[in-house]
Amino acid sequence: MKLRAFALMALTGFATLQPARAAQDAFQLPPYAHAYEPQTVDERGQWMEADERERQIRDSPLRIREGNLETYLRTVLCHEVGQDRCAGVRIYAMEVPMFNATMMANGAMEVWSGLLLRVRSEAELAAILGHEFAHFELRHRLNGFKNQRGTSDAMAWISVLGGISNTPVGSANLSLLGSVYRFGRDQESQADLLGLKYLANSGYPAGSASLVWQSLMAEEDASALGRKQKPKQKYTAGFFDSHPASFERAARLAQEAAKLPAGGDARAKEFQEAVAPYLPRFLTAQVKLNDFGGSEYILSNLSQRSGWTGDLLFARAELHRARATPRDLQLASQFYRDAKGAGYSNPDLDRNLGLSLLRNGQTEEGRAALSSYLTAYPDASDAKAINALLAN
Amino acid sequence: MRYAFMIAVIVGASSSACLANALISPGPHAAIAQSRLSATPDGQWNRLSRRDGKNVELWTLDGDSLNKVTFFGGIPVGKPLLREIDKKNRPLPKVMSNMLITDIPALLESTYRSQFSVNQIQIETQEPALLDGNKGIRFTYAFTRADDEVLRKGEGIGAMVGGQLYLVTYEAPSLYFFEKDLEKFHKLITTLKL
Repeated sequence: MKLRAFALMALTGFATLQPARAAQDAFQLPPYAHAYEPQTVDERGQWMEADERERQIRDSPLRIREGNLETYLRTVLCHEVGQDRCAGVRIYAMEVPMFNATMMANGAMEVWSGLLLRVRSEAELAAILGHEFAHFELRHRLNGFKNQRGTSDAMAWISVLGGISNTPVGSANLSLLGSVYRFGRDQESQADLLGLKYLANSGYPAGSASLVWQSLMAEEDASALGRKQKPKQKYTAGFFDSHPASFERAARLAQEAAKLPAGGDARAKEFQEAVAPYLPRFLTAQVKLNDFGGSEYILSNLSQRSGWTGDLLFARAELHRARATPRDLQLASQFYRDAKGAGYSNPDLDRNLGLSLLRNGQTEEGRAALSSYLTAYPDASDAKAINALLAN
Repeated sequence: MRYAFMIAVIVGASSSACLANALISPGPHAAIAQSRLSATPDGQWNRLSRRDGKNVELWTLDGDSLNKVTFFGGIPVGKPLLREIDKKNRPLPKVMSNMLITDIPALLESTYRSQFSVNQIQIETQEPALLDGNKGIRFTYAFTRADDEVLRKGEGIGAMVGGQLYLVTYEAPSLYFFEKDLEKFHKLITTLKL
């Protein structure tokens, strides 16, 4: 009886202590070493490989060198994790129209253009950058590598011993293999949590991290619907998944964010200004990916931030023109005209409007638009083909 | 027993003939890409055993990453140019009956972006052309695949004939190789017959 009462007392004691400790933990960041050098033979090897890979992406034709995009990304990260910590990081913006950012063992970070098209504010961007930085700071590459090596060693020994003793070892090896993936997912969750601390620490709204995953799930659903598939979100990660399911991540991040300071401005406007010069290029790549539902979701998201600008309307028209059902072509023509009304001034507009009308059988109007394209742009690289369409 | 052996030999020989790359000798070649497309090269080419689609045939001189001629022979409406690698997550755009000639290079571009992770591709010149008397388009382009990041140039000629897309393209690295064999491609496409 005495023992039970003591246990209960201890439990309630812990329970009252818990919130205070959680709040304290929130701002305890890992120790930081300036100009960190790899310590062990494993780490040195990993850094050497990462240095080589970094040289490739530094010189890659896909790197977005124009303007200040990389400088801006760096400013956001430095603001988030502090000047001293971000001094060990290089950020490369790459033209790849998918949602991703990766961190190498040596502190080089790749940010893909698809991510910049999808996140809706500086806070959401910071949530991803913070997560990636957390991988670096927690030396996840090294730990993951050691885990994989240790586990595969164990699997090899188990197979040998199983062979000698004539014992089946398949299920033991399978569960060891599963543990490698589970280890990776645990690292992702750790990086999510540390990233969240950085986010909250720097004054961005901590809820932004969860919003990124919510939006990504909505896009996946829209994409599936656009392809006439059943939208399917996993609630938990599968055996061989490298990352936790988006649903799990969104829920966990929202739960953890609730314990942290709410934060202030998400700086959507500042983010919008920074990516504005690259937006037409990112949109062009997106609408040509043959993903109607997903692209439409992205466009409607962007329009919530900035309203339907000329660039967005033009991209929307392109999306419909590519799918090219009669109703799409009708909508495309309308969106091209709306884009013109909203100030889109590139001569491509008249050409694509003309092509859309022509394809929909509206020959006279189509010809008029194509003629005005050729008048504005007589030396266009496709002038001869357009002239041939006019002559037909 | 002897019959079984002979059958095995015949099956083995015929399958190895299908699997192996083949020499294309100068002279007329019909039924290219399992279609009514024919050509009469005046030099030797190699036909790759790899097929990127049901009606796709690949010819090369030095290997397909250095110079590649792709014949798309009569791709019907509703079908993609290439065999889809991931139908569910990365479906390819399909040939449509109402395509204008300028939609042919656009279809190739969109296909490459999805299938080969080509994130940078530029359609350059576009002009009307005849593919064995059928109204079509001739176009040039430049692109970089994500896997090797080599800048390649390409040229193509295509037309919609009887509701099917016929397209022949030539691609090679812009450095040295494209110019080296461009003339051979130009000669080859003058001999195309449907």
